[in-house]
Amino acid sequence: MNSPDPDFSRNVFINCPFDPEYFPLLRPLLFTVLFLNHNPRIASERFDSGEARINKICELIRCSRYSIHDISRIRSKKRGEYYRLNMPLELGIDIGCRLGNDGVLQSKTCLILEKEKYRYQKALSDLSSSDIKNHNNDPETIVFQVRNWFTELGLANAPSATRIWERFNEFMADFQEERERDGFKDRDLEFMPVPEYISFIRKWIAGNPSHIT
Amino acid sequence: MAKRSTSASPKNQRVHVISRKDGWAVKKEGNTKASKLFGQKEAAVEGARKLSKGHDVIVHKKDGSIQRWERSPKES
Repeated sequence: MNSPDPDFSRNVFINCPFDPEYFPLLRPLLFTVLFLNHNPRIASERFDSGEARINKICELIRCSRYSIHDISRIRSKKRGEYYRLNMPLELGIDIGCRLGNDGVLQSKTCLILEKEKYRYQKALSDLSSSDIKNHNNDPETIVFQVRNWFTELGLANAPSATRIWERFNEFMADFQEERERDGFKDRDLEFMPVPEYISFIRKWIAGNPSHIT
Repeated sequence: MAKRSTSASPKNQRVHVISRKDGWAVKKEGNTKASKLFGQKEAAVEGARKLSKGHDVIVHKKDGSIQRWERSPKES
């Protein structure tokens, strides 16, 4: 089977919550993927009310060699709150895509992130022998985990995680300054669509090539 | 809400106070390494003000977003 997408080897399917509560983790996660010259693919990258979401997700999974699944929201935090099932569902589709296909799709690789190291074993015991990484809901730690995962897969010459984290902080200053100059207010920034945020990171990285050290 | 202003300092003169696992780092933009690490954030902010020599000091929250932007008094 031929590669399903010309950018297959650079595409990273991002399976995580896309709500404001998760943004403190999502921002550095997306920045790290882009900083390491990969291409995050998310379900909201194109909005078409007429398109079945599950079809779009399957397409994104199929065209991405890499996937990052954050299952840290599988546990509800208070009585009456639903736990989140989309992330485990999409993780299952991704694993199925790898195991149920031949050729290039068998090279698919994923990183599973959780808040705590062993908590997932109670909810997803089928993964108990899998190696997953925890971020403790800490934005800096997610940079470390994602960066180190890429280097474990063979990415050479990656800047240190500390360097990426510092550059992310510098990016955030420019991001805020430029958006506010364009009339964006707190609410606009807080609820900025993720594709727009990704586009800004791309532009910033292109304009700040000094990140390659 | 974070206090903000339009920066007038050249980017390579801005000094950032950045969260680190083991404390708070003071880093001048453009330098490859942080200048100093502090255990307490307020001490780091003081250290950043000294290092900035009057240029902008940008104090970050733990998630990297901006808590406070202290604009250079020379350029305001």
